[in-house]
Amino acid sequence: MGKRMAICAVAQIKNDAEYWHLRFQNMLLGCFESIMEQTKVTFDMEKGIRNIITCSDDLFDARTISDNGITDVVGAHFRGEEKMAQESINGLGYAMASILSGHDDVILFMGHCKESQGESRRMISNLAYDPFYSRPLGMDYHNVDALQARAYMEKSKVTDEHLAKIVVRSRQNAKKNPYARENKLVNEQEVLNSPMYADPLRELHIYPVTDWAYGMLLCCEDRVQEFTKKPVWVTGYGSCMDRYFLGDKDLASNFSLNNASKRAYEKAGIKDPKKDIQVFELSDHAAYQLPMWAEGVGIADEGKGGKWIDDGGMDKFNVNLSGGQLNGNPLLLGGAARAMECYYQLSGQAGDRQVKGAKRAVAQAATGGAGQHQAVIVMEA
Amino acid sequence: MAEYWGVKVEDIFNSMQERFRPEGAKDLDTVFGYDIKDEGKWKLTVKDNKIKIEKTDDLSGSVATMQADGETFVGVNTGNVDATNAFMGGKVKVEGDMAAFGKTGKLFRKFVIAQKEMTTKDYLADMFATIVPRFKVSEAAGLDASFAFDLGGPDGGKWTVFIKDNVCTVTATIEGKPTVTLEFNDAKDYVDFILGKIDSQSLMAGGKAGAKGDLNMMASKWPVLFEKYKDPLAGNVPQQELIVLKKTIGLNEKFSTGPIMGKFLKGLKEKKIYANKCPQCGRMQLPPREVCADCRVRVNEIVEVGPKGEVRYMDIVYYAMPDPLTGAVRDTPYGGINVLMDGCKGNETLPHFIRKDQIEKIQMGWNEKKGTRVRPVWEENRIGDIWDIKYFEIDE
Repeated sequence: MGKRMAICAVAQIKNDAEYWHLRFQNMLLGCFESIMEQTKVTFDMEKGIRNIITCSDDLFDARTISDNGITDVVGAHFRGEEKMAQESINGLGYAMASILSGHDDVILFMGHCKESQGESRRMISNLAYDPFYSRPLGMDYHNVDALQARAYMEKSKVTDEHLAKIVVRSRQNAKKNPYARENKLVNEQEVLNSPMYADPLRELHIYPVTDWAYGMLLCCEDRVQEFTKKPVWVTGYGSCMDRYFLGDKDLASNFSLNNASKRAYEKAGIKDPKKDIQVFELSDHAAYQLPMWAEGVGIADEGKGGKWIDDGGMDKFNVNLSGGQLNGNPLLLGGAARAMECYYQLSGQAGDRQVKGAKRAVAQAATGGAGQHQAVIVMEA
Repeated sequence: MAEYWGVKVEDIFNSMQERFRPEGAKDLDTVFGYDIKDEGKWKLTVKDNKIKIEKTDDLSGSVATMQADGETFVGVNTGNVDATNAFMGGKVKVEGDMAAFGKTGKLFRKFVIAQKEMTTKDYLADMFATIVPRFKVSEAAGLDASFAFDLGGPDGGKWTVFIKDNVCTVTATIEGKPTVTLEFNDAKDYVDFILGKIDSQSLMAGGKAGAKGDLNMMASKWPVLFEKYKDPLAGNVPQQELIVLKKTIGLNEKFSTGPIMGKFLKGLKEKKIYANKCPQCGRMQLPPREVCADCRVRVNEIVEVGPKGEVRYMDIVYYAMPDPLTGAVRDTPYGGINVLMDGCKGNETLPHFIRKDQIEKIQMGWNEKKGTRVRPVWEENRIGDIWDIKYFEIDE
């Protein structure tokens, strides 16, 4: 097994439908202060934080070089600061590269997204597509996800009823998570009656618009005792970029997630994820993705997603006890939110949703429509 | 083969396909012949909105055949020989259906002589020679102005363009007191600028060009008074179709001020300028922010400063940077200033604009030197917006 990176402390603001009274700078500031308070870390150029990794998005923030707007509230003046514009989980991979290479001992990792600021997240994701062909077709993450949903549901025998079950459970789980977005509890019939957005995706199948910010302090193994007595370790990271053009790929395939998880498992020494891992946090931007990603990380058999739900797979493998992405996290921060839940579980701080004796956990995140880019991290107590 | 005005007879025929206008060939189904003395014979077939041009000895089937010598043929096609005179003088003959042959006139775009190159002098001559033909009289109503060009370097010269009573005239001197004078150290830069090879900002910034007098007249009025200059060389290059998709990307946003910026903006409504003061290092921030980034602490103490102060930094902007929120184009030139408000020190300054007619009178402060004293001029109806301060003016 290779070297590992410690998560010393985490902090977050509660996921909310709209922090109308706050700038995203205000949302971050509380997280920053909490990390300083918990760890007593300094900004000494020898012993403290020399480098800060942030995660934000120009289009969601509506400003070029979005990190420039927040450097002051994350303590980033007069030192290194670099932005991860893709899924936040890759910020953990990036921090790991810096720390395991010995380049930095301590990294502050902060992220924010105020999805409520823009008029339409669909217009924002439409801009992720090429201007000549895909964009004029109106492609966005919802209707592209719907193309994948139909193909996957057909392949893995997942039904509208299965999706209803996933949504109901997500909201029930979120009630036990003090940082989760406050959503109304729903029953299966309400989900089945929910309006169609892009058939087969209904309104309630898609994560709601959410504002959120977080912070984490990451550190090398040698110095972890300076900042915490109870670290959680990141022992494996893997990512994979699938083909960009939608017409090029098998939409029902988990090719890219299979690759990402295989690499992460190898690094972490995981032989059988079903036995070796006790907690799974999957980025279900839409309900159909929960069984699909479960197949991708190897806890459901390929093509058997529907049966896996019927057999109680979601609870058996402790999937998305936080409520998951489906209950509401900003799109690009889903991975950090998943990792944070794994941190709480592995450090025994998960309260009513605690999995007893959890030793290993997996956080997965996807970027783009139809899960184009996938990343997985393995964490250990 | 012989060349006339740099053009061979076969150049005219070889470019026909390229110059063909399908709209001129509507309902035509016919064959024309060309018999050019000592050069050869060509047959032009027009059918189904298409043409075929071939060199051949067999002109049978032509409804009309044109006969001319090479010089006359090239001259007529390039505009160097008057077609009517040539026809009347017998240098061009048409055998067969004369009326049908007349239709060939609409079949092709004009042949343009491909010049190999033009010198700076050639360009300057052409640019000023075409000023009057490019003049748009409809834009000149009530205008009495003169535009002078003082172009240096070995190929340079001086010109003045007068516009008065809807008439445009050009002289190769600079006379009287022009409304505006454009100066270029090197006339070649002017040519490149007009041809769009360099932009005015980099010329101005590099000290290679400047202007005196009413700059707005040159920047805003000149471009609408004249058709854009067309590079004679550009017309010869067969134009490749450029596919352009024009898209405007717009997305409505709702920006929160948060409590700190909110207090500042509310202050403007009440004609107050608020800074906040770091509890550790004591520095002031304008406009106020949540933290002092140097000390990494929250800054909660709000302090009223000003409203008067002195100019610490300044610039004069000549390009009309549009307001991104409204699209409104600013009046140029405008003066940007950073004001060291009373109650602040060092670099604790507030950026804004200076009153337009006072741009030239402002002095920047530097170390011990005091900058010009200024005061805000407030908008009557204030809404909590940075334009609640219309601008600053000299405090006399």
